[in-house]
Amino acid sequence: MTARQGGARIKRRLMFALEIAIAVSAIVSGSVQAQVKSFEGLTLKLASQNDQFAAVLADLTPEFKQATGVTVKVDILSYPDLLTKMTADFVGHTKSYDLYTTDIVWAGQLAASGSTVVLNDLIKRDAAEIKVDDIYPVLMNALGNFKGKQVAFPFAGYANILAYRKDLYEQAGLQPPSTMEDLVAAAYRLTDPTKHIYGFVANGQKGPAVAQDWMQYNKQMGGDILDKDGKPALNSAANIKSLTVYKDLFQKAAPPGAVDYDWDGRETSFRQGIVANMQTWSIGAAGYSDPSQSKVVGKVGIIVAPPGKGLPKYYGVGGWGLAINKDIDQKQQEAAWLFIKWATSPSVHKELNEKGGGSYIRISETHDPDLLKKYPFLPVIDESLVNGDGDYRPRIPQYPQIQDILGDAVNAVLVGNVEPQKALDEAQAKAARLF
Amino acid sequence: MGKQIELSRESSGSLISTKPVMTFARYRRLFLVLLCAPAFVYVLAVAVWPLLQGVYFSLYEYNLMRPASRAFVGLQNYRDFWADEAARGAIITTSIFTFSAVTLELILGLGLALLLWRDSVFERALLALLLIPVTVTPVAVGLIFRALLAPDFGVLGYYFAEWGLSGPRGFLGNPATALWTLVAIDAWEWTPLVTLILLAGLKSLPTDILEAAEADGATLAQRFRLIILPMLLPTIFLAAVLRSMDAFKVFDIIFATTNGGPGDATNTMMLFAVKEGLQFFNIGRASTVANLMIVCIALFSVAFVILIRGADRKANER
Repeated sequence: MTARQGGARIKRRLMFALEIAIAVSAIVSGSVQAQVKSFEGLTLKLASQNDQFAAVLADLTPEFKQATGVTVKVDILSYPDLLTKMTADFVGHTKSYDLYTTDIVWAGQLAASGSTVVLNDLIKRDAAEIKVDDIYPVLMNALGNFKGKQVAFPFAGYANILAYRKDLYEQAGLQPPSTMEDLVAAAYRLTDPTKHIYGFVANGQKGPAVAQDWMQYNKQMGGDILDKDGKPALNSAANIKSLTVYKDLFQKAAPPGAVDYDWDGRETSFRQGIVANMQTWSIGAAGYSDPSQSKVVGKVGIIVAPPGKGLPKYYGVGGWGLAINKDIDQKQQEAAWLFIKWATSPSVHKELNEKGGGSYIRISETHDPDLLKKYPFLPVIDESLVNGDGDYRPRIPQYPQIQDILGDAVNAVLVGNVEPQKALDEAQAKAARLF
Repeated sequence: MGKQIELSRESSGSLISTKPVMTFARYRRLFLVLLCAPAFVYVLAVAVWPLLQGVYFSLYEYNLMRPASRAFVGLQNYRDFWADEAARGAIITTSIFTFSAVTLELILGLGLALLLWRDSVFERALLALLLIPVTVTPVAVGLIFRALLAPDFGVLGYYFAEWGLSGPRGFLGNPATALWTLVAIDAWEWTPLVTLILLAGLKSLPTDILEAAEADGATLAQRFRLIILPMLLPTIFLAAVLRSMDAFKVFDIIFATTNGGPGDATNTMMLFAVKEGLQFFNIGRASTVANLMIVCIALFSVAFVILIRGADRKANER
């Protein structure tokens, strides 16, 4: 064999190897294409909570169709409607929806009922693609993980923040509060009923509204709903003390109508300019600088929620996850998972927030220059999410009943029907029966 | 083969001999039964069957969140309901609401119906406009009134509070006035319907009796008390029963305004039932409340029957 012959053979072999490589890569890329294309023509139905993100998400779904061929229909429902439809769907196995947005506090119930696809293995499998490390760990846990079971994937993270009126603080020569005690003192100081200015506002309406807001304050003031063993401890000394302070704030520093405020009433009072301090979900923060929604444009400061004096930083976290109905067939489940990955991907989620979704889950989002320019308060959300806790409203199966018991008790205290000690003693007796 | 034919002949022969003779009357009866059948089946399917199921579920501890742990508990759900002070309060609150709202609507409705009795274009146009509140969804009515009456920034509520009419917390934020405000909202929405029913009753009254009374010199008050009112009683009864059934089930306007508060001031039975059924998914307890509501509505209807019959008898005695 001459050297020339040997060279030709090597060349042929190389060519052959190249041909095989091209063929293999064509097959592989073809199969990826086929995998995406295999969903072509499918329709996913998503039941979404009527929060700011819902309409934006619905607007973005045509992009998903373009990429995958899957149509996504988004039904936007009120909170009670969503919960009722979801439960009826899961109990009756009616497959009404493929995907649900799920509230942070439903995780315990969903884990107990096993009605949603457990996502742990899928997340592990696609960790690199999802960029799991970019998602705030507190949200990964709170928005769908219950005792290790990932029943939903984080989609919209909210942080409890303090919105305060910079102009009123300046006029009074006060510094923004760094502790709960500062906030309470400033609330009394800034209240002037003759000018219709009140230092404090929170939800007072009987039911979930008052219960959720008080649980937030209570935790910041050092109280807790459950004891170390996870059993109800509603009438602990810390809880009674915090409810006493809360009652006093409502009576002396809140708008008189606040005893009947739910989230809407509370937000309206702040946007109308009659309130100096309001702890609220970060999702509403962008609205204060929108003249079509707010009379206090340019006067609002957003800072982290102040903890009690001497207590560690405490930031409440809330929000929504995306969960897949376990009853739907395998192919629909795969398409639904594809949608979750797409909707929570860095680029799509950024677009969601650019368009006003107000829902942050990724570290890259709160540090994104474009978003920071539009929403300068993002560092506050970042700090709150880094140090946040999603369990001030206990995410346990008994949560709805505990919330209801507290909703009755706290409202009764605020309207002056009963003293904090007695109300919480009675609430504790009722809650203990649930365990 | 031949045997089989024999047999079938025999059997068919015996059939013919025992078959009842279908007379015209029997055909007619069968026809009438068949005519009623769809309605009968419908009522069985959508009213009686769910009702019986409700009774059945109320005897169980049955939560949709834990469907596997269904257990027979007898009357425990009823005992629990009765032991709950707030639940007992809800029965009283619902009864006060129903009685007050229906009475107010009947008085206002009767007044309006009498004003609209004369049939002119003006009255007809007015009636059409009056009916607008009836067409609004109750939840929307609740939200509108909550926004209007908010004492801190409501269009009306602010001034009511400023002028000292409502107290600083507003009508809906004060336990003493919240229920009465809801009665007024309910009356705003449903009085036109009562007016419509009573107007239909007024228009069907025989005019000759009224004309005769007028010719005999009866005053307006006498005609109303002695002729119109007694003859209108069946229509009033209809309106009262229809409205009572509805008012007893009140939910939407309360859910949208006070959610049962402040305290327990506006906590009605339907709020209880919805909370148990659609928030806690406790079907056993929700059925218990629903069953108790049916009993209460039946009692209310019986009370109205007795009242109206008494009034009717009194009128006839005259």
